[in-house]
Amino acid sequence: MSRKQWMDNAFWENEDKKKLNCILELEDDVGRVTSQQMLLHRHDKDGSENELFNEVINDIGEEIIDKSTEDRVVRKKAEVEEESIRDEEHNKARKLEKLFNYKMEAFEVEDIKNCKNRKLKAKLRRAKSKIEVDLYSIMILQDQLEAETNGKD
Amino acid sequence: MEKTKGFIIVSSKKRNFYLYSINLAESLRDYYEPEDECKICLVTEERFLDDRGRDVADDILFCDDHYRAKLWGMAKSPYDITMYIDADMECQHEDIIKVWDEMKDHDVVFTALTDDRDYIYAERDFDTPEGKSKFTLCGAVCLYDMSKPIVREFMDDWWDLTYRQMNDTWWPEGYADSLKSWDQFSLWWLTEKEEKYKDLKVGIFDDDLRWNYYNALNWARTKPENGPVILRHFSAGLNKDTPIV
Repeated sequence: MSRKQWMDNAFWENEDKKKLNCILELEDDVGRVTSQQMLLHRHDKDGSENELFNEVINDIGEEIIDKSTEDRVVRKKAEVEEESIRDEEHNKARKLEKLFNYKMEAFEVEDIKNCKNRKLKAKLRRAKSKIEVDLYSIMILQDQLEAETNGKD
Repeated sequence: MEKTKGFIIVSSKKRNFYLYSINLAESLRDYYEPEDECKICLVTEERFLDDRGRDVADDILFCDDHYRAKLWGMAKSPYDITMYIDADMECQHEDIIKVWDEMKDHDVVFTALTDDRDYIYAERDFDTPEGKSKFTLCGAVCLYDMSKPIVREFMDDWWDLTYRQMNDTWWPEGYADSLKSWDQFSLWWLTEKEEKYKDLKVGIFDDDLRWNYYNALNWARTKPENGPVILRHFSAGLNKDTPIV
């Protein structure tokens, strides 16, 4: 037995409620189900009322469509926010990788490589930015210079 | 007699891995209290070793340049309770001292490969003659008790099987060739198919993301539940082939 049903998640495309986005589900005689997404206009090009549009309104009811529209706006907003947070975290992770590579380069500088001051090297390793890496690198170089000078004395 | 405890780090094939392993070893010493109880075994190729390696490691073993020398090294650990850590990781928290508590009554402890972290894995699902399967254990860190004969044997077999699958002297029928490069496959085979390891007690770290947090994971989506990251894994974001300087 065939069946035709408008899904109750239909929503208004814009505030003037002249366009309706909805899904029509059809089931044929052998039970195969297909669904079709449709964008319906309240009025046809000649200004007459769109029968399909009215059918959806009658089947689902305007209140339910209003509620679906509101829910969708909230949901979409949350999705955008979540995506933005994910992007932000993704960028932070890439920045951390770059910082890690930068530290590895710093640790290959001859004086830093040979430095025995574990405390300063630990500070460099924990650095949260390139500037911090540079600062601790300079401190290590100074420490090395002092160690060499003291050694000469 | 109390069991000895220590970390094992392996760097072979590429010099960058040696540099990462030095950084990891030093970071372990940065956070481990008391520091003199932090025992580290460095497994590396003789050509890479320099003063930094000699200074930071308590024990040094030389390996060859095999891509999976880590498994050879793991099987040679000088410590009873051993924590293996991939070289491209870094210790970032003082809770590293608590790693030994994770042993509990397990024989080996891993971090997990899970569905919700699927978005960063290269190859996890695969076909077997019996149907679909997927890797569930991650070999990036591994805590194991080498004082148990079954564990020693397991580590030897893991290395042996990986070596053979990679040089084409062992491969079961019905499995994709693309799986040959993964030590996860030999691990899966031993833990799922090998009769003699059916009673091996395999555990997962509590809040395992703390013990192996892949930097490629998205923090907004996937993060530890009970504290900060202890070991961060930089794996994906590193250019392992280009010389650092």
